Amino acid sequence: MNQIVKDFMVTLSDYATTYRGSTLYEAVLALETAKKDVELTVHPHWIVLVLDENDEVVGKLSQLNLLMALEPKTEYTAVVDRLDKFGFSSNFVASIRETSLNSELIDNYLYPDNLAMEMKVDDFMKTLSENEFIDENTTLNSAAHQFSIRKRLSLLVTSEGKVVGVLRLADVFSALIAAMKKAHNDEGEPI
Amino acid sequence: MKEIEKLFSRIVQRVNINLRELGFDATPYIQIIPINQMVKFYGFYGITPHHPLNFKFKNSNLAGSYFLGRCQVNNSLLYKSDIRGDELKKKGDLFQYSDYEISVVDNEEIQVEDSLLIKTLVHNFSHDPESLERFFIKDTVSMNHSNIHGAPCEGCFIGVFATADLTTMHDCVIGNFAYIQAGEISHLNIPHGTVWVRSPGEFNFYYQHPKDKLQEYVYFAAGSPPQGKFIDFVADRKEAFQRVFDVVNIEQPVPVPSSASLDRYSVTRGQTTIGENVLVAQRAYLQNASLGKGVNVQENCFIINSSLEGKDVTAHGAKIIEADLGSMVFVGFNSFLRGRPDNRLTIGENSIVMPHTIIDVNGAVTIPPGYLVWGLIQSEEDLETNSISIEDFAKVDTRLAMGNMFFEGNGASFVEAFQHRIKHILEANGAFFNGAEKKGHAQKNQYISFNTIQPYPEGNKKGIFPTIVIKP
Repeated sequence: MNQIVKDFMVTLSDYATTYRGSTLYEAVLALETAKKDVELTVHPHWIVLVLDENDEVVGKLSQLNLLMALEPKTEYTAVVDRLDKFGFSSNFVASIRETSLNSELIDNYLYPDNLAMEMKVDDFMKTLSENEFIDENTTLNSAAHQFSIRKRLSLLVTSEGKVVGVLRLADVFSALIAAMKKAHNDEGEPI
Repeated sequence: MKEIEKLFSRIVQRVNINLRELGFDATPYIQIIPINQMVKFYGFYGITPHHPLNFKFKNSNLAGSYFLGRCQVNNSLLYKSDIRGDELKKKGDLFQYSDYEISVVDNEEIQVEDSLLIKTLVHNFSHDPESLERFFIKDTVSMNHSNIHGAPCEGCFIGVFATADLTTMHDCVIGNFAYIQAGEISHLNIPHGTVWVRSPGEFNFYYQHPKDKLQEYVYFAAGSPPQGKFIDFVADRKEAFQRVFDVVNIEQPVPVPSSASLDRYSVTRGQTTIGENVLVAQRAYLQNASLGKGVNVQENCFIINSSLEGKDVTAHGAKIIEADLGSMVFVGFNSFLRGRPDNRLTIGENSIVMPHTIIDVNGAVTIPPGYLVWGLIQSEEDLETNSISIEDFAKVDTRLAMGNMFFEGNGASFVEAFQHRIKHILEANGAFFNGAEKKGHAQKNQYISFNTIQPYPEGNKKGIFPTIVIKP
């Protein structure tokens, strides 16, 4: 594994992106378009990068972020959401959530109305933190180590401080499998 | 800058440092406190034959504050607060914690250090098994009408009408009108109007007052003074207390049985009657109140046009207006129970009104005997999601959710814990005194001498009390 990150990253131009100020619906469409573009590849895109007016990456949206944005938000759900901080078991909190989801008030929440789809990505995107960047010249060995200790599914690849692509855990893992196979074959089949 | 201003800045800085992880800045909340008010009032302390005596005050302001028992105050500002050390542990006592029976090696002391307490009640004893001899309040700000009850705290901000009960707290923000009884907590920001009672492994009770409705009763945001119906209610009766603090020898306003105690720093008006073994603590307000045998009315309580049949407990800061309570009703801390003259509130015997409950009704409301009540009740219909019979609650063995109330654990343990505590409160207050035995505060508090202490009247140390040590 003597390759470097930029050999494996997906370049920014090939990635699903949207702009600040765009809506949740537009972000979903961007993700869907990007998925179609890479339908033939092994690993589809699962996140949308949010760009500012200078095409700089300022945030990202995972499918989980999008689902969480669609979750019903009432004063009641806010109370339920913090119960785990107050010592209630996860089973208890899950059962209360289930009950509230099944109530008439918020029935069919997965089919959101226009209001939900018009939410601005700025309001629910995940802003970038210091530990999710990796330089494009980092070795793949080091990148694998970074994924392991940072516990992330993707890292933003930088070149001279600017984001130029995305390195996905799946791509690193594919390289790892290939390296294992090569090592195994070089040593010959076990007797 | 004068010494008192330096002290103020120093305390705020220390609190903010402790709360930096929560991103909480106490400064805008306490900037509204007029320091010039803090130089106007004397401090006072009580001496009795029944309580240990040991006070040490150093570099502090104690305006309008009262002290009893054993207490140290260092580098602190205490404004119209009660530091009541009459339930502290004594050397040789045994403290039961979980499976441990821990011996107390010295007389317990309340230690207030680098803290600002505004109209706060400090009472009971430390329930922290790691600090049995020291009930500490350190680097903490507590706002108007809050209670620190058996709750050592360090680096905390306690909002208006909030209560920390039997809980050790480190670096926490307790929201306005929040009630916490949870053993030990750290680095938590408790929302306004939370009522949380937890005994790990046994039960967990949580209620959240609705935000908008709660703001009608209590609202305190950065940069403006506390507002709402609670503040108005207390402010409307503030003048009545002026005389009891101004006059040295005050006559007893109504007949008081020899087994009962009506504190000379309480206010009594109208046709009020006091039964045997009744305890009325200081800063309590009675107006046309009928108090049956063994009733106790604790600090900062208001009983107006109401009758309490007997052995009812009105915990610190509770308010009862136009209501009739059967016997053995427990009304928790800072509860606000208000009926109307033509539509009275009736609460049946042996009921438990949870701490920080608001019952404010225009139509008549009757709570049956043996009920558990919580939260915000503004109509009879609200009782459907805010009350349950104690018998039914005791049958809960896993979980229960009603409205904004969530309960997990064993209902019987919860009921038993409350009933045990109510019995202890009645015992401690002397409700069961039989003329010879079972004396409590109602009998022991009759013999208190009050002494006043004064700050520097002028100069750089204006408002600061000199170092004072008072021993037997």
